[in-house]
Amino acid sequence: MFTRRGFIRVASASVGSLALRPFGLLPAMAQSASNYRALVCVFMFGGNDSNNTIIPMDDSSFKAYTSIRGSLALTAADLTQTVYSTSNAPYAFHGKLPELASLFSSKELAVVANVGSLVQPLTRAQYQAAQVPVPVNLFSHSDQQAQWQTSIAQGNGSTGWAGRVADYVEAQKMNSSTFPVFFSVAGNALLGTGATTQPVAVAPGGSLNLLGFNSTPAQQARYDSLTSLLTTDSGLSLAQAANNILANSINDATNLSNALAKGTNLTTAFPDTTLGQQLQQVAQIIQVAGYLGMNRQIFFCSAGGFDTHGGELETHDALYPQVSQAISAFYSATQELGMADSVTTFTESDFNRTFQPATTNGSDHAWGGHHMVIGGAVAGGQIFGAFPAFELGGPNDTDTRGRWIPTTAIDQYGATLASWFGIPDSALSTIFPNFANFGSQKLAFLG
Amino acid sequence: MRPILCLLVLSFCAFSQQMTGRAAARFLDQATWGPTPQAIDVLEKKGITDWLEEQYGAKLSDLPDQPLLDSAGKTNQNLAPVTAAFFQNAVNGPDQLRQRVAFALSEIWVVSQTTVPSAYAFPPYWRIFRDNAFKNYRDVIKAVTLSPAMGKYLNMANNNKANPAKGTAANENYARELMQLFTLGLTELNPDGSPVLDSSHSPVPTYNQAVVTNMAKVLTGWTYPVTPGTAAKNNNPAYYFGQMYAVEAEHDTTSKAIFNGLTIPAGQTADQDLDTLIDDLMAQPTMAPFVSQQLIQHLVTSNPSPAYIQRVSEVFSSMHGALRPVVAAILTDPEARAGDVAGAAVSPGFGHLREPVLFLASMLRGLNASVGPANTLNGYSQELGQNLFVAPSVFSYFSPQYQIEGGLLGPEFQIHSTQTSADRANIVSAALYGTLDKTTTLNLTPFVDLAGNVGNLVNYIGYIFVHSGMSAVLTQAATAAAAAQSTPLAKAQAALYVVLTSSECQVIH
Repeated sequence: MFTRRGFIRVASASVGSLALRPFGLLPAMAQSASNYRALVCVFMFGGNDSNNTIIPMDDSSFKAYTSIRGSLALTAADLTQTVYSTSNAPYAFHGKLPELASLFSSKELAVVANVGSLVQPLTRAQYQAAQVPVPVNLFSHSDQQAQWQTSIAQGNGSTGWAGRVADYVEAQKMNSSTFPVFFSVAGNALLGTGATTQPVAVAPGGSLNLLGFNSTPAQQARYDSLTSLLTTDSGLSLAQAANNILANSINDATNLSNALAKGTNLTTAFPDTTLGQQLQQVAQIIQVAGYLGMNRQIFFCSAGGFDTHGGELETHDALYPQVSQAISAFYSATQELGMADSVTTFTESDFNRTFQPATTNGSDHAWGGHHMVIGGAVAGGQIFGAFPAFELGGPNDTDTRGRWIPTTAIDQYGATLASWFGIPDSALSTIFPNFANFGSQKLAFLG
Repeated sequence: MRPILCLLVLSFCAFSQQMTGRAAARFLDQATWGPTPQAIDVLEKKGITDWLEEQYGAKLSDLPDQPLLDSAGKTNQNLAPVTAAFFQNAVNGPDQLRQRVAFALSEIWVVSQTTVPSAYAFPPYWRIFRDNAFKNYRDVIKAVTLSPAMGKYLNMANNNKANPAKGTAANENYARELMQLFTLGLTELNPDGSPVLDSSHSPVPTYNQAVVTNMAKVLTGWTYPVTPGTAAKNNNPAYYFGQMYAVEAEHDTTSKAIFNGLTIPAGQTADQDLDTLIDDLMAQPTMAPFVSQQLIQHLVTSNPSPAYIQRVSEVFSSMHGALRPVVAAILTDPEARAGDVAGAAVSPGFGHLREPVLFLASMLRGLNASVGPANTLNGYSQELGQNLFVAPSVFSYFSPQYQIEGGLLGPEFQIHSTQTSADRANIVSAALYGTLDKTTTLNLTPFVDLAGNVGNLVNYIGYIFVHSGMSAVLTQAATAAAAAQSTPLAKAQAALYVVLTSSECQVIH
């Protein structure tokens, strides 16, 4: 079934504005609704080695870490100062993540340890004996990226968990407009593909406006010709799909540019990096969410280059400042907007990497990893879930290279976020079909 | 000959020609960077068989080698001269089929500047696909495996055997992607591309993690070519001319159990291990459908029928991976040619979205473009998600398994978003109403000359860009847009805009 967002051709639309949906349909509110909430995904493509993102600093853990990680082990000089959880346990972040360490200290950032794709809980013995179902195509980039986005470890998920959340939001009319719930500033993302809703993708600083039209009848005729074709079924499914995407684009273009025109410049400075520019765009959209008629929005950002089979330390030194500075700037921007409690940012990545290094000064594909949740509503300064035992061939290892079997499921991570977003428990089992396999246990990182 | 007269003559002579104009234009959209009036004319006269023979021997286009260092003495990372030459070749090069096949292979065997900064690595890497496009898939496997660019990208270079003292293991990167992306895929396939199922109807994986770990050992012991003027070491620094060579001291000589119950015996050299491994890969029946399906998707259709995949993969198998007969089988298959007859039904899932490079090149060819050596056309491709030689990862710009709404495959749609679909229309607008870059000029004269009669104009646009197969609604829309304009140029521009932005044109079918 095609899910084009009700493409309406308004015959009287002026070509200049290309308005296909009268702007007057949107609420005139200048500010976001008081119950506004946004989720912001930062996806680290390639499989972030989160073994080096945050490290437990108790003596036995750090000793095991240093010994096993060898050439990849960070020394005290490579780490931030030790930060203490609310239960007074010592941790340190990678030294290029000082802003994130600071957010942990100020209780605005929580860590979810050893989370990953699971069909159901399992032990090392069960894994090695192949006694219980495991996620399809473990350790494959494409499959594990998809499972982080679909929360369906059995594979073949055609919708993302955030897309299914968006379906619910739209079905319940939680927003006062039909502008897409899911907004990507990093291209198409399975995470936001719904069964009945489709995302909008806009490049940072980009526009969806069609260029080259003015208000003359000649140009109006050309514009009408273009739009008339978008509602025509040519009998070719792929042509139809292309029509739907362009129709959605035209539909969203005017609402977006009109709303953004109401925005004011944020005083928060964002770093001039890909992720920095993406998160700046997200902040600017959140600022004008009311003009878009949005009470609930989900955003998608991404950074690449985390597939550190070789040269890992140098790569992290280059990438981690970008992650840390962009997320920190974004949090500051939500404070500037007075919306810090209404916006929760979370990380995803393909998988964690082998605790044991490869011969090439890098690490290989693994499984459960450590993720971060940031925001004013987050129960920060805490670790949720449990770190694995740092032992090759130990109780959390699949084999002998330190590929941690997750002890918390993506489903639990996502359901906790979705629940805070406003999805009732009764709908969580539909959005996260494997959630019951984990006792429908949410995590406590969001009130 | 004036185009419209040409059209009339063709329609009268259809039965005496080897091909109709429609069939020729349609074939050229699958086998070249897009139809031109001249190319259609040539193919009509020659017919497919002779045309293919000529293409196999066509003069090779090249990409220029680049300096190692920039003017400041730093690593030269400027790919602009290479991407500019790529577009010049696409628009003007005589070896059109070879370029298309090479580009398809390069989208399977990805190396990206994200990890290989040196610009000079890329022309030699590209030549692997150019030179082997009509040779054997085995040659591609071997040449890429020993390529220093791939050695850098997926860590085959300086992948030493495990070092117990340091607590390291052999790097699994190339071992995994060689199987997953380049040769076998994740699941064993029947010749028709369907998954092989076990007794409980589950797909049979081609390998597991233990195989990856062992394959990593098979591929240990290779290093970069020696940089001229330096001494050879066990682990040479990156150098991208020539092939990697083996350092036996760093090769793991133990026995390794690999896929499908096969074992690489103990005691072999790195080179012997590699040859054994490639023999074993070539012997896997899964490779033929795995590679064939992707080549079909790149050239003809995102959703080939199982029978089409099987016909091509049987050629791949029986010819032991020879690519020339495989390419010919793809392009001459009844399913590829079914739409050559006007009005013939093709399946609803047939065809594929032009990827950005093909969208740009085919538009330029059809608009009689002159493309200069300093063109910046890759900037548009980058805007659309296809920055040449800078794919985001080894998974290329888009996945062969990407699904559109409704579950059909539409690989190119992975980078076709609300943003890039608007960008495409705006690039068409820039081409027709402005300029694409300082060195690219279009010649709209053949279209403007016909604009005195809008019907003739629209027919001619359809002849070049939609294989004379425009639907009635597209014809009507283009006609209405042109009729509302006052000058011949404005009529030509308006009709071209409507056709070039239409999904009928964007989706080759």
